[in-house]
Amino acid sequence: MKITVCIGSSCHIKGSRIVVEELQKLISENNLTEKIELAGTFCMGKCQQGVCVTVDDEFYSVSPETVKNFFEETVKNKI
Amino acid sequence: MNDLCADIGFKSINHYGEQLCGDHIDIVEPDDNSTVIVLSDGLGSGVKASILSTLTSKIISTMMAEGLPLEECVSTIAATLPVCSVRGVAYSTFTIIHIKDNREAEIIQYDNPQVIFLRNNKNFDYPKTEMNIGGKKIFKSLIKLEENDIFVAMSDGCPHAGIGISYNFGWKREDIANFLETLAPVGYTAKTLSTMLVDECDKLYNYMPGDDATACVVKIRKREPMNILFGPPSNRDDAERMMSLFFSKIGKHIICGGTTSSIAAKYLRKPLKATLNFENSDIPPTAELEGADLVTEGVITVNRVLEYARDYLDENKRYEEWCFSRDGASLISRLLFEEATDINFFVGKAINPAHQNPDLPINFSIKMNLVDELSDCLKKMGKKIKISYF
Repeated sequence: MKITVCIGSSCHIKGSRIVVEELQKLISENNLTEKIELAGTFCMGKCQQGVCVTVDDEFYSVSPETVKNFFEETVKNKI
Repeated sequence: MNDLCADIGFKSINHYGEQLCGDHIDIVEPDDNSTVIVLSDGLGSGVKASILSTLTSKIISTMMAEGLPLEECVSTIAATLPVCSVRGVAYSTFTIIHIKDNREAEIIQYDNPQVIFLRNNKNFDYPKTEMNIGGKKIFKSLIKLEENDIFVAMSDGCPHAGIGISYNFGWKREDIANFLETLAPVGYTAKTLSTMLVDECDKLYNYMPGDDATACVVKIRKREPMNILFGPPSNRDDAERMMSLFFSKIGKHIICGGTTSSIAAKYLRKPLKATLNFENSDIPPTAELEGADLVTEGVITVNRVLEYARDYLDENKRYEEWCFSRDGASLISRLLFEEATDINFFVGKAINPAHQNPDLPINFSIKMNLVDELSDCLKKMGKKIKISYF
């Protein structure tokens, strides 16, 4: 599984750094580093909905507040 | 024209408790390959010294740049400077470094500490001819320029640093030359060298300078072109033309902006790989693209570069933030401020709809202002700037 987080200007201001760091932490805490590849990308063209995240090409809008929830509910269900 | 150019940087500290500096540096470029640099030190300190040195350096640099003979410059100063009511003399020392055609340096010195000249990173004792103009003993030297030649002009506040505090007789000229010999091989820019020298003087004065101290460093180096791409073109049909012009230029290529780098990646037919290394910095991560030397995010990164540029021209206090870091803004700063001598900006005027959100602190006019202000700063650093809009 591949999770891609936008690190463009808009998403950066909306906290993409926190989202990335939180995901990195959660992935290693759950021993999923073998199964999940985390990557960055520049603008996905949906800045209004940022922070933009895709999981295997499926789009999600995540924020630093919802990242934990997103990981538990969406990411874990897909593995 | 050869491929040498002069990198010039200076820094002053004021006499303890004074708001004005009694030393003044004036730089004039009569043409593309010639520069006249004048460092003068006014009698005393504070307002009076500041007026004397400003007049002196301004008059000499303007007259020299117009090609007038030295004798006339000196007699003009003697006739113009106001006479000090306390000491009954009109007096301001000066050092002139005149770079001609980037081939030869003419050094003219009157009563300032002798210019230190480093060739191949070693202190080099150059010949001087003594002249007498209007009763003033003036020394003149001519030096053929080579790459990595370094000239350091100082006011007497530098060799007097630490008198009675750290040293009995101040920081001797030979010791300053030794200090510079150890720093020269590192490859610091002129601005950084002058900052290090003056900061050392400040330290020797125990941060309470007993005199104004100024150092001006002129470093002869090879021209280094640099190209920077910022923003997508306002008409997407121009993308191909913009990219081909950008990538055909010699020198390094920096790309700023997410959409911009995607366009570049498409043009080069190479994958754009964004990294997730935040490098302990609040600047967005960089990306990798074969064919480009550096790919970064746009406005946030460039805005930080502008902050560093302003500081570099002013007090140079944030140098340590960007001199080693690996974040996008630090990398651009090092390339533009230290490495480049000629910078070509390729600026796209497209409006990013996502940036027009009033919640975001970025918008189109800010982006255009960034380019204007950054290019102004770079010009002040002595870089040659060309901007093309698309």
